[in-house]
Amino acid sequence: MTPQGFQLRTQQFLLQKSGQALAECEDAIAVNAARLRYAVADGATEAFDAGSWAKRLARGWVEAKTPALDAEDFGAWVEAEGKSLHDSWAGLRLAWYAEEKARSGSYAAFVGVEFSPAGERPRWQAIALGDSCLLHCRDGEVLASLPLSDYRRFNAAPVLVPSLTGLQRAALSQAVASHGEARDGDLFLLMSDAAAAWYLMMTEVRDPRRAEFDSSLAGSKQEELAQLFERERRSHRIKDDDVAILRIEIAYK
Amino acid sequence: MEDQREFERAHGPTMYGAQITRANPTCLVLLLDQSGSMVDPFSGDQNVRKAEYVADVVNHTLHDLVIRCTKTEEVRNYYYVSVIGYGGQVGSAFAGALASYRLAPVAELAEYPLRIETRYKRVPDGVGGTLEVPFRFPVWVHPQAAGKTPMCEALAQAKAIIEEWVAEHPKSFPPTVLHLTDGESSDGNPYQLGQEIMALSTDDGPTLLFNCHVSAQRSAKIEYPSTAAGLPNGFARTLFEISSPLPAGFLAAAAQLGVRAEAGSRGFIFNADPSSVVQFYEIGTSLTGMTPYRWMDS
Repeated sequence: MTPQGFQLRTQQFLLQKSGQALAECEDAIAVNAARLRYAVADGATEAFDAGSWAKRLARGWVEAKTPALDAEDFGAWVEAEGKSLHDSWAGLRLAWYAEEKARSGSYAAFVGVEFSPAGERPRWQAIALGDSCLLHCRDGEVLASLPLSDYRRFNAAPVLVPSLTGLQRAALSQAVASHGEARDGDLFLLMSDAAAAWYLMMTEVRDPRRAEFDSSLAGSKQEELAQLFERERRSHRIKDDDVAILRIEIAYK
Repeated sequence: MEDQREFERAHGPTMYGAQITRANPTCLVLLLDQSGSMVDPFSGDQNVRKAEYVADVVNHTLHDLVIRCTKTEEVRNYYYVSVIGYGGQVGSAFAGALASYRLAPVAELAEYPLRIETRYKRVPDGVGGTLEVPFRFPVWVHPQAAGKTPMCEALAQAKAIIEEWVAEHPKSFPPTVLHLTDGESSDGNPYQLGQEIMALSTDDGPTLLFNCHVSAQRSAKIEYPSTAAGLPNGFARTLFEISSPLPAGFLAAAAQLGVRAEAGSRGFIFNADPSSVVQFYEIGTSLTGMTPYRWMDS
């Protein structure tokens, strides 16, 4: 099968925390339809310039000349991106607290997936660190979820992608890489942590809100999705956090 | 303990889960013994005065809160902070522009330290060694040691602040009171006031009151006990009784620091040594279960 042998249809959804402006959202979604690369990153709320770091990771990863899909390539690529981020801060006149914060660098969760034709069916390869997840779904079931597959394992202090070179080796050793085959009709969901934990929980307990979500996302009904998450936040079934979701549907020609 | 059980009966077991946001901030009260005996050496070390060491740790704690609330170049008001000193007088230990606040928004703390010192700390150099790097160390609280130990008056001031807070912020993560003392109260038994503070609740749970006792002697320390059995005297038992059990997020923070605490452990240390004092403030301000120093410096 050639790249022309299948299509990838995508829908995106981004929602900021309650009471904040969309510009304050520190989750990022990036798509490179030509290279069939897709990524979501989630800047750590407590980190310096976390929104920029998340955008840089997501956009940089999908645009990179060669894909950073194994631990070695990913480490080298993150190091270069981290240095660029810190260079972008040079010359800023910062108050003492911002200077201290910047010294600690920035952090973000990251998940990226690339599709490629191989044999009869397209294949996917992914890498993730932190608690932004890739869910591979078929016929309504979640076949695989990485790096986390159990909603109970999401916590307040995941290992994230650090911008400081000195911290990267230990952190990136926790990165999870995986690959597989994609069939006609398969869905891939890239989600930041709050949405991923919610979706995995809804799937496990077979809650009908998952079907409502699936339908709204497939139809790109942004307002319906926003209302659904607002209701779930008020009910405390989902953490009040930024939400980034990228849906990729495989369709054979 | 009974307050928490009562609360769970009424509201379910979902306490201490409120997210701390600018729209729903929380309140932190640091009660600091500044009586005359705080000038004594700490834990048998003639080179370390209790008052100086504790002021340093409090300044470090405030520094960390500011950094935690810093979003790039803005400090967000997730916390409102009071530091009440008691000794020769009882009242805010803040000076200068902050002196007028009963509870200072953390963004104001960021803007108005008394001064900013340059200090040095060792960090990993990336090739197996360490190197010394400078960091900015703001000072908000000076060491003080004078007078008796009017603990009850200090607790009464904390109670008044918290009463106002919970009335105005009923959905907030409950207030946290971190009390450090080196001796018995000189103005009465603090038991009743402690119980009254622990009974002040938001929808998310009762106020958390944690106590840390420090000593001039190097004595066996008792950290985060779950029972009063084994405490050496009535004063220790009183402090135990007015110490809240550590909620799950705080237990997780303790575990990350390698501190032994279990379900039912009270936020209480007797005869704390210097490292215990640092951990007391780290655990007491972890709130959401994150250990900030670890996170920043790991």
